[in-house]
Amino acid sequence: MDLLIQTVVNGFIQSGFYALAAIGLVLVFGVMRVVNFAHGELVMIGAYTIWYAHAQNGVPYLFTVVLAILIVTAIGLLMERFLFRPMTDDPLGGLICSIGVLFILQVIATYVGGEGPSKQVPPPFEGTLIVFETVRIPYQRVFSIGVSIFALAVLWYFLTRTKLGWAVRAVSMDREAAALQGISTVRISMVAIGVGAAMAGLAGALMAPLTNINPHMGHNVIITAFIVTIVGGVGSLPGAVIASVLYALFHTFVTTYFSGTIATISGLLIMVLVLIVRPTGIMGHRVSE
Amino acid sequence: MKITKTNTSRRKFLKQVAAGATTATAASIIPSRAFSANKQLTIGMNIPMTGDLAPWGLPGYYGCEIIAKNINAAGGVTIGGETYDINIASYDHAYETDKAVQGMKKLVLEDDAKMVMMLGGSTVAAVLPWAMRKQVLTTTLLPSDITPDSKHLVATCESHPLYNVTGVEWLARNHPDAKTAVIVTNNDVEYGLQSTATYEAAFEVAGIEVVDTNLHGFDVTDFAPIVSSVLAKNPDIFCMATSFYVTPIMEQLYHQGFEGKVISCTLDYYHEIIAKTSEDFVNGTIFQFPDFDDPALAGVNFPDPAGFSADFLANHPNDWTAVAWEYPVILVNWIENAQAAGSVESVEVTEHMTGTEQNFVFGGGSWWGSQLWGLDNVLIGKWPVVRVDDGKARIQEYGDLAAWLDANNDVLIKHMKAHGLRTV
Repeated sequence: MDLLIQTVVNGFIQSGFYALAAIGLVLVFGVMRVVNFAHGELVMIGAYTIWYAHAQNGVPYLFTVVLAILIVTAIGLLMERFLFRPMTDDPLGGLICSIGVLFILQVIATYVGGEGPSKQVPPPFEGTLIVFETVRIPYQRVFSIGVSIFALAVLWYFLTRTKLGWAVRAVSMDREAAALQGISTVRISMVAIGVGAAMAGLAGALMAPLTNINPHMGHNVIITAFIVTIVGGVGSLPGAVIASVLYALFHTFVTTYFSGTIATISGLLIMVLVLIVRPTGIMGHRVSE
Repeated sequence: MKITKTNTSRRKFLKQVAAGATTATAASIIPSRAFSANKQLTIGMNIPMTGDLAPWGLPGYYGCEIIAKNINAAGGVTIGGETYDINIASYDHAYETDKAVQGMKKLVLEDDAKMVMMLGGSTVAAVLPWAMRKQVLTTTLLPSDITPDSKHLVATCESHPLYNVTGVEWLARNHPDAKTAVIVTNNDVEYGLQSTATYEAAFEVAGIEVVDTNLHGFDVTDFAPIVSSVLAKNPDIFCMATSFYVTPIMEQLYHQGFEGKVISCTLDYYHEIIAKTSEDFVNGTIFQFPDFDDPALAGVNFPDPAGFSADFLANHPNDWTAVAWEYPVILVNWIENAQAAGSVESVEVTEHMTGTEQNFVFGGGSWWGSQLWGLDNVLIGKWPVVRVDDGKARIQEYGDLAAWLDANNDVLIKHMKAHGLRTV
């Protein structure tokens, strides 16, 4: 029973990271119709910012979290302005550009961090929360899941309660119709990639004290984000959040009771099954030509 | 307007600047050994210096540079009546097989390397056909690379993962109350499974029951479920057979309240683990790779271990790993054999090396391997059992690997076969 409860807690905590990482991918695809392969590297840059500023140079952790969000957002905006915007009518071109950015960001991380071991960030919040003498959650993870939920709530408020958020959703639903209503799709694209990159930066910043940081860590992030995005329904933000929770619980349970390898293979199989049986995913909807 | 003619024309000025810059550049880039009267003797390192496995390559290069620097500063090394300066030529194969083959050929054909040191695994398998045909003395840290036909491939320092049995033996003797163990490691054939089989054999011999073995892939980003899963078996001992993820696993053990014994093949960057957990938690962890400022290293077959350690850490304070001293040990062993053989040529040195008794770095020294891999090209001897005490790695004893293998080879082969690993 203890293991069951601990596994549920582990799963929910992991879902926060998955959701933050996937949201950006969904936003950018929904609004710009570009598959941003460099999204995992945006998470990586967020983590490297924490390592460099906090672990190496002693800048307070919370300040570096904000710094990571700002830096990654700036990278996202630069990508939009100089890569994706000129490729507005060429989704394949945008995808190829994003692969180029992926390599560039990896090289920058290697240049900043050097070769050698994965980088480690001592947890700013030490200690472990023990619930009912059975469930143990490091305070760093408590902090991370709290911030993740808060960030997702803010995003939900932004998308459902503000005019700008409505405009983002409108462009995501039908770019041409939104433009005909006077919505600036260029401006909304900037907002989408800015918000998506900010979420990626936050995910990296929160993950940094909990994982091995290296230039290639974005690889695993992007695979998970793709699975979550496809299962949730491509372009659907609520779908991405629901799929994040389901996938994290599924992956954690299979890892705990079977093995991590089976969990990864099963996750990919589920993605393939969803593509075959229900291509729209959990929350996506069919668009007729 | 008055025009004054000077002796310095623009062309002349540019010539002077170019000459000065060339001289300054040459002075800064030509190594001092180029001015030495000694011949150059090149030793090759075909290793990962970038990528995920760089920590098991690059520190070794730094270490060999220190050894070479010290030898050259002392006037070089005399072999067969000729005095040489040591030159370390490296090739970064980033643990990619095609690059490893390219690197091998470059080091041998262009740099005239007399021995090529490698990490092991798939990169060694890739170079073996060419290197053995050309009879190039090649070294590996993974003796499981050795085959009945690889006569010029030797493992003269690390005998991964055989030495792990010494840690288990020490643990069983000093903590007889620890009766159950779990093993967590990556699921690759080259490192993880070899080490898992060895630990399983060592635990069986020690009378310790392995209650769970969790083999994970290289895509794990969260070790919480894995650690929760194995700790549910209430083990007395948590074993990391050989993991690239020691730090996050130790972190999870700490947060999930594990209070038993931890034994690991490596504990690279253990100071970072302490920073992420606590000194109290890491204290008592047993592993197999000493720091070289350990007083217990006095008398080992390696020149001034403490001085070497100080030199390394002064220049590369964050890069010390197990391989920092292993490649240098191989280099020192090669020099001893070349001197004894009176030749620097691969064939002569290899024949002398494998045909004579050797002084292993930590004592003892015998050729082994035919029982498992078909050729006695693995140099085994005493191996240190290390424990973290007061936040510092300290040698507890030197285990007798040869004696364990003599007594328990059948058990080891049984577990190797159970994991589908190659044995003779």
